[in-house]
Amino acid sequence: MAVAVSKGLARVKEIYQDRPRRVKELKAQGKKVIGYQCVYPTLEMLTAFDLVPYRILGDMQEPITKADACLPTVVCPFIRSCLDLGLKGRYDFLDGVVFSHVCDVGEKTAHIWRIYLSPAYCHFIDVPHTTHKAALEQLKEQLKEFRKTLEELTGKKLNEAKFREAIEAHNRQRALVQALYELRKPDPPLITGTETIQVLMALMSLPVEEGTQLLEEVLAEVKERKPPAKKMARVLLWGSIIDNVALVEMIESLDANIVIDDTCVGTRAYFGHVARTDDPLDGLVDYYLVQIKCPRTFRETNTGALKKDYYTDLENRFGYLKEYAEQWHANGVILQSMKYCDIHGYEVPSMKDYLDHVGLPNVYLEHDYNKSALAPLRTRVQAFLEVIG
Amino acid sequence: MVAVGNDRKAINRLQAMYGFRALVEDRYKRAIEASQSGQPIAWAMINWWAGDAILNTMDVVTVYPENYGVVCAATGSAQTFLARAEAEGYPAHLCGYARNCLGYAASMKAYGGIPPDAPMGGMAAPTLLLGSGGICDARYKWFQAMARYLDAPVWTLEMPHPGVHESLQPGAYEQNISFIVHELREFVAFLERLLGKKMDWDRLDETVTDMLETNRLWHEIMALRRARPCPAHSRDIWTCLGAILTPASDAKAALKLFHSLHDEIKHRVDNGIGAVPNEKYRLVFAELPIWHNLRFFDALAERGWSFVFESWAYHPPKPQDLSKVSDPLERIARHNYQWVTGYYTGAAAAGEWWGYFAYPYLELVRDYRCDGAFLHSVLSCRAGSTHLLHVRDSLMEKLKVPSLLVDGDMVDTKLFNAEDTLRCAETFEETMTHYREMRQKEGREW
Repeated sequence: MAVAVSKGLARVKEIYQDRPRRVKELKAQGKKVIGYQCVYPTLEMLTAFDLVPYRILGDMQEPITKADACLPTVVCPFIRSCLDLGLKGRYDFLDGVVFSHVCDVGEKTAHIWRIYLSPAYCHFIDVPHTTHKAALEQLKEQLKEFRKTLEELTGKKLNEAKFREAIEAHNRQRALVQALYELRKPDPPLITGTETIQVLMALMSLPVEEGTQLLEEVLAEVKERKPPAKKMARVLLWGSIIDNVALVEMIESLDANIVIDDTCVGTRAYFGHVARTDDPLDGLVDYYLVQIKCPRTFRETNTGALKKDYYTDLENRFGYLKEYAEQWHANGVILQSMKYCDIHGYEVPSMKDYLDHVGLPNVYLEHDYNKSALAPLRTRVQAFLEVIG
Repeated sequence: MVAVGNDRKAINRLQAMYGFRALVEDRYKRAIEASQSGQPIAWAMINWWAGDAILNTMDVVTVYPENYGVVCAATGSAQTFLARAEAEGYPAHLCGYARNCLGYAASMKAYGGIPPDAPMGGMAAPTLLLGSGGICDARYKWFQAMARYLDAPVWTLEMPHPGVHESLQPGAYEQNISFIVHELREFVAFLERLLGKKMDWDRLDETVTDMLETNRLWHEIMALRRARPCPAHSRDIWTCLGAILTPASDAKAALKLFHSLHDEIKHRVDNGIGAVPNEKYRLVFAELPIWHNLRFFDALAERGWSFVFESWAYHPPKPQDLSKVSDPLERIARHNYQWVTGYYTGAAAAGEWWGYFAYPYLELVRDYRCDGAFLHSVLSCRAGSTHLLHVRDSLMEKLKVPSLLVDGDMVDTKLFNAEDTLRCAETFEETMTHYREMRQKEGREW
């Protein structure tokens, strides 16, 4: 007899509180679950091979105790947390892992994971840093290598029709996430930033079709429920990964709504579209290396431009944030980064220059991926909201 | 700055080293002269020879901001620039070299030229910036950030970083070489457009040939350091890096300096002359030196500590026979790729999956018969710190060689405590002695 399961946002919350539960069930049914780090491994390929992608995330509430034995404390606390969970056996259900060259520490953690956790399947995608023509070609070759390893793992060749179906399935999910974000445009937004993170983390814990079905339930539920009370400020949240509601909850408890974000459990993971191309890999390369807006990729106004203008450069790098702010009616930007995140750290002064230039009030917060350490930030956020509200 | 040790020089310095020091000083002077005569100037990241020969052949005078960070740290000028960078909003955990340079560039913009009191005459304003995708994120993000202060165009050279397992798959090697070659062609085309002149391919070919010969010679010099006592201390080798890691000078002049260095070290080996007269302990150093307090190593030398090798990435890769490769860009690519992956085959054979940064120390400690490893955990450098705990563990597990893990920074004086470190070093001598005896009991080679 089938067990009744909850639906929509109730199910989202259940998954958020126990992310691996569903994939463990699928594993018991014979499915293979592959963990992936960051947003660069090509999920479409995993799906095409009937593998379940499961995003490796940290746990802000779990003290890091084991990772300190093999990773120094002067590196990204999120990655230390992921590794710590791995060392504590919290990712033992995975049948394999895929890492990519997302950032310096992310790349090196791939090697540490392979050494200290000995996964049965492990692959590293060396994603280039630029969008040079040669870099795009290099990523395409990397994806071919990735495909070969999955063929060895599953014992079957990649079926092109299934591959195209998988691309469409992930595109459809991205489109629905974009539709969910549309519900944050009204004032008050129909769904909070806190709920949005929970939804996206649930999607990152389910096979794509199952996630999409859940997303449809969420969309229907949110559209029908009574809108919440209006708040003073509408905020755009930028920065390094947020995989726990704590920071967003703190901000939203202060008469503000996060209405749009630029983070990787957020728009960066879902605001693109893989184009239909003769060779499906070309569309994927464009999506992963060109469309995803993580500062780990070096962007130029025109590759090899001989003249440089600072504000033209900033417009090219950060112009989408102005569009986000306009479309979602944000009246301020909270920039946040975890301590020791270099790729976000280097962006901050230029990002502030750009936001000042386009008239968007902003504040920068640095934190160390620790729920209890958020308290001192509350006062700063409160002061900022009073300024923009 | 806290300094340990007196003015007595406990390290027997190489005379040839002074020529290298002059070469670095001359580089900054030449760049200022070039800026006055309208010659193009590049600020380049260390790029493991991917772009250096190309810049040299295109008559671009190059200075290296990482090296300038060393200069500022060694002359006590860095703290002013670091403070300026922090005031500009750059987080204090970012790379010390980067913050020094960003502070310098911000000051340059404020003064409308080279800041007064900039050491070695300062870095002249650049015509272009050459970033690198190699080794760490700072080395392309920092130059992107520099647009805040400089109008110069920036080019980022890619550098593949495959995993050990992935690099050994059929076709992977040639694919990565092809990637680098294509990158280099795009870079040459960019330079030709920027400078309005064509590449002289014959000249590039000759420059690359000279540089590869320097590489061969440098490798030979390093091998000589296996002798007991070690003829060349890390302090001298760090001084020579200006000509090998940042080779922005006449390749033939540099080659001549390396010949003189080789001859002096060979003479020492033949005559049993050590860099540390009473060599009691042989150590490897990782990673970035404590540039602001190099006298600290004299204090250790007084206790018989000899640093016989240092920081694997500072050293040219194992030489390859590239005589049959006619395209100079392909020779550069193969050499550049060897820098990252040169130890990968050994790593795979040893079941080690961190083929650069971590595994090389297993080979180096064994080959140079080290008693210990001095692991400098640089608080502002992820790339230079992430692997150190694994290095410590694998050296102990596989070779029974202990490590001294020390917090510090290559530029920021506030982050290193010389007295505390010296106290730890004294205790560490007992540890090294204990494990030396253990290795001998186990019948190991040293």
